[in-house]
Amino acid sequence: MSAPTTDPGPDPAAPLPGPLDLTGALDLTGHRLGTPQQAGALTMVPVTGPARPGVTPPRGGLKLRRVPGYGQVELHNGADTGVAIVPLHLGYIQDAAQNHALCRSAFLAAGQSLLFTDACCVQESQGGLLAERDQWFFVLPLELRARALELRGVQGYSKLWTDIADLNTRYGLPRRGHLEQILSRKRPVLTQFQSRLELQPGQLGALFFINGHFAGLEIAPDPAYFADVWAALVCFAYGVPAWHHEPDPAGRTAEPLRGDSLEELRAALDADRAHRAAQITSWLTRLPTGPVRLRHEDTYLDLRLSTVTAPHLAGQVVTEHGRTVYASLFTTRTTFDPRTPDPRRT
Amino acid sequence: MDTPTLLAHLETHDTPVRLPRGGTLCWDDADLHRAAQASDPEGYALLALAPGVAPWQRARVLLQTLAASQAGLDDTTRATLARLAHVLTLALPPAQVITVLLALRRLRANHKHTTRAILRFVLEHPDADALIAARRPALTDCFEHALGKTTARGCARRVADGDTGSDYLRRRLLRFLADPDAALPRVNALYGPGDPAATAPGDAALTLDTPRRQPPTVTATNRGDIAATLVHLYRGAHDEDLYVALGRQVAAAVADLPPFPGTLALVLDASASMRGYGEREWALLSQTAALRMVLEQVCDRLEVVEVGGDERAPRGATDLACGLLDALARGPDLVAVVSDGYENRYPGDLARLTAALPGAGVATPVVFCHAQFTAGDDLTLRRPAPALPQRGFWHQDDFAELLPWMFGHCAAGQPWLRAALRVRLTDLHRQAAHLTTRSAA
Repeated sequence: MSAPTTDPGPDPAAPLPGPLDLTGALDLTGHRLGTPQQAGALTMVPVTGPARPGVTPPRGGLKLRRVPGYGQVELHNGADTGVAIVPLHLGYIQDAAQNHALCRSAFLAAGQSLLFTDACCVQESQGGLLAERDQWFFVLPLELRARALELRGVQGYSKLWTDIADLNTRYGLPRRGHLEQILSRKRPVLTQFQSRLELQPGQLGALFFINGHFAGLEIAPDPAYFADVWAALVCFAYGVPAWHHEPDPAGRTAEPLRGDSLEELRAALDADRAHRAAQITSWLTRLPTGPVRLRHEDTYLDLRLSTVTAPHLAGQVVTEHGRTVYASLFTTRTTFDPRTPDPRRT
Repeated sequence: MDTPTLLAHLETHDTPVRLPRGGTLCWDDADLHRAAQASDPEGYALLALAPGVAPWQRARVLLQTLAASQAGLDDTTRATLARLAHVLTLALPPAQVITVLLALRRLRANHKHTTRAILRFVLEHPDADALIAARRPALTDCFEHALGKTTARGCARRVADGDTGSDYLRRRLLRFLADPDAALPRVNALYGPGDPAATAPGDAALTLDTPRRQPPTVTATNRGDIAATLVHLYRGAHDEDLYVALGRQVAAAVADLPPFPGTLALVLDASASMRGYGEREWALLSQTAALRMVLEQVCDRLEVVEVGGDERAPRGATDLACGLLDALARGPDLVAVVSDGYENRYPGDLARLTAALPGAGVATPVVFCHAQFTAGDDLTLRRPAPALPQRGFWHQDDFAELLPWMFGHCAAGQPWLRAALRVRLTDLHRQAAHLTTRSAA
């Protein structure tokens, strides 16, 4: 007979930390943080909150219609109803054409097609094209996102090759403007992040930390939208730097919990988790702050798409009557050395 | 006898027993086998039949069982050991058996049960004629060791003269044999010229472990019948036939398994990753549920502690440490954690908890069963508690090895293991008898 689960229960829901409201520009008052999860260097704090119905989920509704030329990508919202919000820095690995990524988000009404002429090619030469069954979409790795955002509106298919080559060099890979070297060749490791961290029921966003450093905040209009972009975010946008900082599993030794009975061990585990939660809370309270600039980019009815720039932060947000509908904000830092050593690792 | 340690050794240490010409028998783990055999002759010998034991370890068990005295053992145990020796002589490659028999000669082991096993191999093996032709000197040495040189040659002379049932022959040779009509001509062959061009058969006459063939492409539905049916149900099928088939498939899977007379607590990972995605969706969870269903039939008491969501609605994070604490609180004989190994609340908690259990006076064995998509899954990042005994499974056929391994870790599992292996011995002995009969015909 199956016995009922003893659910430790979610941590008391906490509001999102103040610095992420961009000095009042983002209304995040309805959003709440959930119980953190960790996988290697990557920590994910789930975000729940009010859903904004009527936005087409990207996987089902948003289709890559064609790539008419280098640096050009045409998307189509095939849904009968519902506006599509193009996930920021969406990229496609596709059959028999150069792989591209977008530098910006955009709105597409139901049935509408949109040609992005400022897309960036992420593949310096023809090598590495993938078979049709291997096609998938991704979100640019965190290390490239700030630069890609800077290059929105700039036409030039090769504009990101130097940054991709720099990233490859940093990761010990051949110096080429080939993102495929990371995304495809490391795919078996990167896609494990989709299992190592697990979506919570009702989750529509997440805060990401790498080695204790703020990495990004992602908020979707509703849980279905977030589930659609989850793999692309966790495996590629944040999975790539997390993979680079993966601690050596063989170097870990398990320091036993302290307790002379099961009850004492449970109490020790609870105390240890409370300590860890407090540590994550301290990361939240120490989020970087600074002057933030918002630039209005696009409008669809009452939805407004804006670009956020700051010395420490960048990204794009969609608001409706001041309420946050979509946000993809990420740190501008590119190194994530451990902030403090984990006292339980020897 | 430390069953888990011994079983792990039997499965992994597949180095040959060597018998250098004129040298001493090279048998690097002789002490381990001697000690295990001395503490529980029948339990030790039966372990050779556990699925997945390496061939050279089975040869060692045969060697130790035939070399050791059976003084003090009851008739039932002696009969079990005799059947086991007969099965092993047929289930091992003949070359390995001959090495074992020559080793017995080197050890001067000449118990009655040793004699019987040697004579039945030399004279009644289904491939005895071909073996004698190809390995005549070695088999003659074995024959003469079994009976004593003078007696062996005396028997051979009488057989050559046409004796088929004299008192001498009956008392010294025929009483050890099951099929004298087929065996006696082979005594002549042992002392004949042999055939320098003959080659010895290399394969065992009896199959112990059916070779596993992984399909070219592993899918969610070619991993065993129970899991395939469950995948269709999880995908939303409502066909009543599926439920009927499920009952039939589970019944078939447990038909030969004895009841486990203890309490097993199963920490069942029902988190989001166990559902999986894309072409692998439901693969891990369906196989895990299949294992749970089999264990539900086998165990007197099965306590299931689900982590995350539940089998029909896997969701959320993986908190294996709290699951283990809940499982231990129910006072089981054994805890099995069944998970894909992706622990995220928090990584390391299960390892730290299991490392603390001995100090907290908790002696309940805990094992980790890795739910895998294929046998070749990369588990580098999926070992939440590396110090725990762990074993992977991806196909229903893996249960045949998984269950003995699991139950072997607890005291309550010892009778189960013995009973399960006795059932296997009975089946194999029936096959062996059929082989011998067919060969004689």
